[in-house]
Amino acid sequence: MQNQVNKYLGKLINHGLVEGPGDAELYGLDDEIYSNRDQVPEKVRAVFDALNINSLLIALPEPVRWSIISELLRGNPDVISPTDSESLTFIHDIPVIGSFDPGAIACALNRRKGCIVKDRGIVSFGTVSLEQAFVVMSSICFATFVKYFTDIINGLHGFRGMPRPTSLQIDTCQEFLTRITPYKPSSPLSPIPPADEAGIIKAMDAAGKAMVHAHLVDSFFGNISLRLGDVIYISQTGSSLDELPGRIDRVPLDGSSTCEITSSSELSAHVKIYELSNDRAILHGHPRFSVIMSMFGEPFKFGETRHIGGIPVVAGEVGAGRKGLVHTLPQAMLKDHAAIVHGHGVFVGSAHTFHEAYEKVSSIETGCFELYKEALKSGA
Amino acid sequence: MGKGFGHTCLFIDMTSRRTHREVLDSEISEAFLGGRGMGTYFLGLEPGLTALDPAAPLIFATGALTGSHIPSSGRMMISAFSPLTNTVCSCSVGGGFALEMKRSLIDIIHITGRSDKQTNIFIENDSISFEDSPWDRETPLSRIFEDLSPSGGSAAAVGEAAYRGCLYASIMVDNSFASGRGGLGLVMASKNIRALVVRGNAHVRATPFDPEAEEKARTDIIRLFDASPALMGRSGIHAYGTSALVDLMASRHMMPTANFRRTFFEGSTAFSGPAIRSEETPRHYACRGCPIACKQKSAREIPEFETLSHFGALNENNDLKSIIEANLICNETGMDTISAASTIACLAEIKGARYTGDALVEKVRSIMGTGSEAELLRKGSAILARELGAPGKSMSVKSLELPAYDPRGAYGMALAYATSTRGGCHLRAYPIAHEILGKPVKTDRFSFSGKARIIKIAEDTNTVVDSIGACKFAFLAASLEEYAKGFAAVTGLAYDTQDLLRIGDNIYTLERHINSIRGFTRKDDMLPERFYTEPGTGGPGIEIPPLDKGQFFSALERYYRIRGCNPDGTIAETRIKGLLLCRTR
Repeated sequence: MQNQVNKYLGKLINHGLVEGPGDAELYGLDDEIYSNRDQVPEKVRAVFDALNINSLLIALPEPVRWSIISELLRGNPDVISPTDSESLTFIHDIPVIGSFDPGAIACALNRRKGCIVKDRGIVSFGTVSLEQAFVVMSSICFATFVKYFTDIINGLHGFRGMPRPTSLQIDTCQEFLTRITPYKPSSPLSPIPPADEAGIIKAMDAAGKAMVHAHLVDSFFGNISLRLGDVIYISQTGSSLDELPGRIDRVPLDGSSTCEITSSSELSAHVKIYELSNDRAILHGHPRFSVIMSMFGEPFKFGETRHIGGIPVVAGEVGAGRKGLVHTLPQAMLKDHAAIVHGHGVFVGSAHTFHEAYEKVSSIETGCFELYKEALKSGA
Repeated sequence: MGKGFGHTCLFIDMTSRRTHREVLDSEISEAFLGGRGMGTYFLGLEPGLTALDPAAPLIFATGALTGSHIPSSGRMMISAFSPLTNTVCSCSVGGGFALEMKRSLIDIIHITGRSDKQTNIFIENDSISFEDSPWDRETPLSRIFEDLSPSGGSAAAVGEAAYRGCLYASIMVDNSFASGRGGLGLVMASKNIRALVVRGNAHVRATPFDPEAEEKARTDIIRLFDASPALMGRSGIHAYGTSALVDLMASRHMMPTANFRRTFFEGSTAFSGPAIRSEETPRHYACRGCPIACKQKSAREIPEFETLSHFGALNENNDLKSIIEANLICNETGMDTISAASTIACLAEIKGARYTGDALVEKVRSIMGTGSEAELLRKGSAILARELGAPGKSMSVKSLELPAYDPRGAYGMALAYATSTRGGCHLRAYPIAHEILGKPVKTDRFSFSGKARIIKIAEDTNTVVDSIGACKFAFLAASLEEYAKGFAAVTGLAYDTQDLLRIGDNIYTLERHINSIRGFTRKDDMLPERFYTEPGTGGPGIEIPPLDKGQFFSALERYYRIRGCNPDGTIAETRIKGLLLCRTR
């Protein structure tokens, strides 16, 4: 358990979710509590006593994220309802409570996987490992970031019934934008296509790490794949893109194995893209401003296509259900090998390697960031 | 209160054929929810009875969500003391039986006594009738269900195995769904009930407490189902049934092979999901109201994963047709496929034999035969191995044969086999979800670190799942968070996730306490010695060493502390006092 505590403390810092080790308390419980703190506060013990859980995370997000969350808290909401589709699917909504009162925390965590505590930050838990608490914390950061900027821009332009922001709120938003970079460049990926399985795993490992390092995926929700002949190599469902070795499935396209049962939820979409195109590599991330700009405007209908900066935007839910993105995305990617799924994320294919795909994801995100700033300016 | 939650119990005494309906005290039904919880409650009232004592109850119980719009929640639980293991035993069964009970405005059927002749019971709304059974001992179950079909409704019946005293005889429901484990079919036969038919016409779905909240919970759950590759993906359970797991277990080198002497079987591709699709072109079907539709049928029933793996790899048999045939014999005679296959594999190892293809089919058929070997085969592997002087060859815990996940390949599974209240069962905690399928997140399958609490929480969770009538597969996508909202919406009881988990903890702990009263202690929470001394079969980048016994015991001791047990595995006195006080807030 202590290993888990140390690992996820490191990840919170490396992912830029918290500023330093003092901003996060991690607790893992088997028959005793393990922590990054010397002592376990009574209030934390009380939360463990009240809940049938095995891990707890209390984290103050890094200043910009926390300031953004604080803006969302201005109206004293009891709950924050995310707008992006993955958060709606997996965390539903986020309870808000005033202070770290064990009873109130237990009550909120009875309802949902994590909550926001106004004077403390984000609190989340796991029943299997600290990884769950980490994923939820990361997801709440993503959901609140996307909601804040989406609500502002839609309100400014009179979309989705959102109230028009005050000039102070617009100024605050503009000030946030000066403190944000759309992505954090990382060292370039190899432009040489891998030729064998070992090379593929190495290339996927590097591409996954680059996506996380660049903040093009804010939590565990992206996925990537590479095709070699009649086999697709794809990240497993729930895998962290910066820890891919051991979490990559080998999927024969002829359907001769069902080992892909552990593959990404978007396997069907990847397969369809490969079937329709000459792509060899696909990256799917959740760059924040791409997601935000996909939700700029009135709600989107399934089957409808819009464009942002020349990139098609389509609707579609996670997976292969009746309204799954497998039915809309692959066709939309035919022309430019790229598309944004409304409220979800960016998919980019490349006929060569991840190098090209990564560059394109980055440029789409940069473009969307600039478009957001322009939209804010024009609306103001 | 919504109609999704009721507590009407129909008591049937087979000796006198007296029946009465009783509305249970709401304190009891709110503390035990339904399904497995209610079964455990009734078993706990007289915990010392032997399994086949006429006074020992056989309980059919619906879940609290049965009949609601909440997806995959139409399961029924059958509970009794197991003649195979002597533990408490509850089995989750699909089919339409639970819904028909609800439509007859019955939540629980509690049967005691013993009829002097083989009897069929017919329940239609508020009328109950008893008829002499017209069938021979050898009549196949498919014929029995066919004969019963004009009655409509849903039927549960036992076959030849039960009437031959097979300790792992099952109860079949609607001809396709088995209450397989632990020999509950023998309990039903001991009461001389051949078939139980229920038909009702009440509209149980009419009034959830909060229809809007029910719809919201339903939508959230369906969205999670759609996002789940294990359920609805190209190679998920919806597409291939549970045979989808064959390739996965093979690739992880944890497929029990040759009576658990190895953990990899080269021939598993012969009975994988794609092989079945190619050979049998099956169609899938479902329990009522379940979008997962995990069952598969061609001209014949397609076996479940456990059955494929055990009539396949465990017996070193790569002949799909014989696996399907063996499964068919089990279904027609009413035998648990896991125990049957494992008992045969045990016999094969002791005799230095190998039963494959037609020889396997013949060996399965021979279980219904005469002679000492057939007698032994009907007793299960623990008694068979002991009688043949090789007790270590029975791959069972508390005499229940282990299913198709080798514990050396998933350490949480090892611990869960040991602590399961009905013996060597994978479903009480199902750690395969996180150790192999990565849900909700992946855990290190070769480590005991943190597993004691994980198993305890999962046991509590799955107890709730079994008590509200939900299907465990649903929890490969959704969680108790969504189902708790559905529960509150349907029943009007303001229980949240933790309330339900507390109830799950109490029911599970009560099961363990009942087992303690029946003589079970730490010595019974042990895996067969093979797993601590012999390695499994490794492969590229995978080593399957024996379990470290010291680490296993250390995890078990942690589990005891977390569960509230004494060092000998019995429940601590302080914990016993609170077992019936399930809402502690």
